[in-house]
Amino acid sequence: MALMSEIRQKDIVAYPTANRPVLLFGGLLIMLILFFILDLFLGSVSLRPGEIIGAIFNNSDETTRTILTQFRMPKAITALMAGIALSISGLQMQTLFRNPMAGPYVLGLSSGASLGVAFVILGFSSEMSPESIRGFGNWAIVAASWAGAAIVMLFIMVISSRIKNIMTVLILGIMLSSAISAIVSIMQYFSNETMLKAYVVWTMGSLGNLTGSQLNVMIASVVAGVLLSLISVKMLNAHLLGENYARSIGLDVRRSRFIIIAGTSILTGTITAFCGPIGFIGIAVPHLARIIFRTPDHRILIPGTILAGAIVMLASDIVSQMPGSDTTLPVNSVTALIGIPVVIWVILHDKRNRDIF
Amino acid sequence: MKTTDHRNPFFVIQVLNRFVFASVILISCTGNTAKSPSDLKTAETPIVSYAKRLKIENSDGYSHIFVLNPWQGLRDLAQEWYLIRSDEEIPSFIDTLKVIRVPVKKVVCMSTTHIAMISALGEAGSVVGFSGTRFIFSDTLVQCVRRGEIREVGYEDNLNKELIVKLDPDLVMVYGIGSESSGYIGKLREMGVKVVYNADYLENNPLGKAEWIRFMGALFCKEELADSIFAGIEKEYNKLKSYISATIVERPKVLLGLPFRDTWYISPGNSYISALVGDAGGDYLWKDTESSVSMPLGLENVYMKAVSADYWLNAGSAGTRGEIAAIDERLSQLECFKTGNIFNNNKRTGKEGGNDYWEGGSLNPHIILRDIASILHPGLLEGNELIYYRRLN
Repeated sequence: MALMSEIRQKDIVAYPTANRPVLLFGGLLIMLILFFILDLFLGSVSLRPGEIIGAIFNNSDETTRTILTQFRMPKAITALMAGIALSISGLQMQTLFRNPMAGPYVLGLSSGASLGVAFVILGFSSEMSPESIRGFGNWAIVAASWAGAAIVMLFIMVISSRIKNIMTVLILGIMLSSAISAIVSIMQYFSNETMLKAYVVWTMGSLGNLTGSQLNVMIASVVAGVLLSLISVKMLNAHLLGENYARSIGLDVRRSRFIIIAGTSILTGTITAFCGPIGFIGIAVPHLARIIFRTPDHRILIPGTILAGAIVMLASDIVSQMPGSDTTLPVNSVTALIGIPVVIWVILHDKRNRDIF
Repeated sequence: MKTTDHRNPFFVIQVLNRFVFASVILISCTGNTAKSPSDLKTAETPIVSYAKRLKIENSDGYSHIFVLNPWQGLRDLAQEWYLIRSDEEIPSFIDTLKVIRVPVKKVVCMSTTHIAMISALGEAGSVVGFSGTRFIFSDTLVQCVRRGEIREVGYEDNLNKELIVKLDPDLVMVYGIGSESSGYIGKLREMGVKVVYNADYLENNPLGKAEWIRFMGALFCKEELADSIFAGIEKEYNKLKSYISATIVERPKVLLGLPFRDTWYISPGNSYISALVGDAGGDYLWKDTESSVSMPLGLENVYMKAVSADYWLNAGSAGTRGEIAAIDERLSQLECFKTGNIFNNNKRTGKEGGNDYWEGGSLNPHIILRDIASILHPGLLEGNELIYYRRLN
């Protein structure tokens, strides 16, 4: 009997039963809704639940309603989008490079996107004030950010086709982001004070200043990126087993790579353009999803990562608002504090994790 | 809120220290509110009356100067100097390292307030190097830069130390923003350069800030000129201040600054700008707060209070209301935005963004006070034309 139960437990660990993911998805979905509501309820201004519900049903004072509909709702939606986008792009990169340490931040995609933004903010138009650049340039900044992310992604792609050692690729990625930061520093050195300020402010990262049209641009881009990643589920699964295998089952490797790279660049580029570089979500969340679902199958991992990413980002946002105090923390330091322990855990359990790849 | 340690703890950006943070400090310097000491003036009155971080004692043959707590968060630390005329002997009890031979002939300085005060004493020709020459506003000084008389010495961690040594200044005047700057200051000292702290930017009292001209006066042996300049400022400021408080009926509510993304660095109630708004008959929304640095408040938190503001002043570098709306469109729903009561202190701004408010303005607190008073109380000062402020359209 003892032996039997041991085997059964092992079975559960190794091969998820049909019910397990369904239960987990249900649980995560409930958590997601809960955190979304919590994010609306908690902020730097303390509002009573009654006031918030009143605001929803249109019978509270003007200011409370503004706070809820124009501050907290857009911020919660941004957190949701950022969490989804960064986590998915992290998952895709980890699979594509077959590298558990890959992520948009670590491999320099975020810096690439930053460089694109730096070109727009610092490079262009010394006659124009940064405020007016922002006015016309929602799409300009986003597009520059996509391009920057895509260039880095392609570069990493070329490197990893020549060098098989994942640690070397990682180190090259770090070198690349340092080189990009150097270029950005030089640009900063030669730009004027107000532009510099605009750029420095942008690099601090935040979820809370997207409104109206920007929010629409972001949602549209994230939806497009997620759709691309849903299309590439099968390709991702094939990539897990190596490119030769992928080719042998009739996958157009070049095309699938292109789709995956495009999706990743759009997702990372969009979030970096609007929220600044936010670190460690992209690398950490896919691992959380693997720990929770215990499967390498992207049909489960992609929706799992979407849910987990959204939850982690909403939680980070709640922490960064420091409910009950007037002060707020920069959100990227909160995500770093949440993400880094996961990364360390992954490194320490490297052997087990390699099995997935 | 008592320490300087709550700057962005993990992503401290070097540049931020240099530009953004320095300007945040500039608008949020603190200390205790100075009591008006004008009624105490007797023969034994200390020479410095408003500045909290400067002490000057005149003795036979030298003047003894203390620069107290020259950067944020310091307690009970002073830089001590003996100013002795070049032709006089140094008394044996004085440490020669603490001696500055006056009048100084060549200085390098780091802040536009330093250069403005030196220039006001007619000593612009003594400035041989400056950090950030691009940001100088004054025409006279810009000409000096063009003629190569004032050289660019670079910024803190990119300071051109070789050039400084070659310029061979009598002293380098710096402002301290804590340990970040001590690196290059230590290096300069090592090279035998005399580094003098100037703490004018930490003065919370507008007159206290202007009073640092006495320090410059002592260095250039132009004490009398410095005294008369300051006496003029003091008289004008106090006259206007008492006229305002005696005349006004209501105190309109005032909002200050601009958010950085979703954080709004709010100047505390014990800051320089808060004192100006109070003296100009305004009711600053955060006048009851106390902090040694600007307070990073959440945007929604500030918005809650800002809806009741009648006037909005010092809105960053914004030149139009449209720019403010582009930063965050929610700001355009504020009452003072709709009524158009937004005034910014950047009427006199150079091409590269250098703002005379922070340069010449340090010696013109009375003019800034007049500007703010006539904004908050239209009709109080008939026919007054704004000098540093302009309405944003």
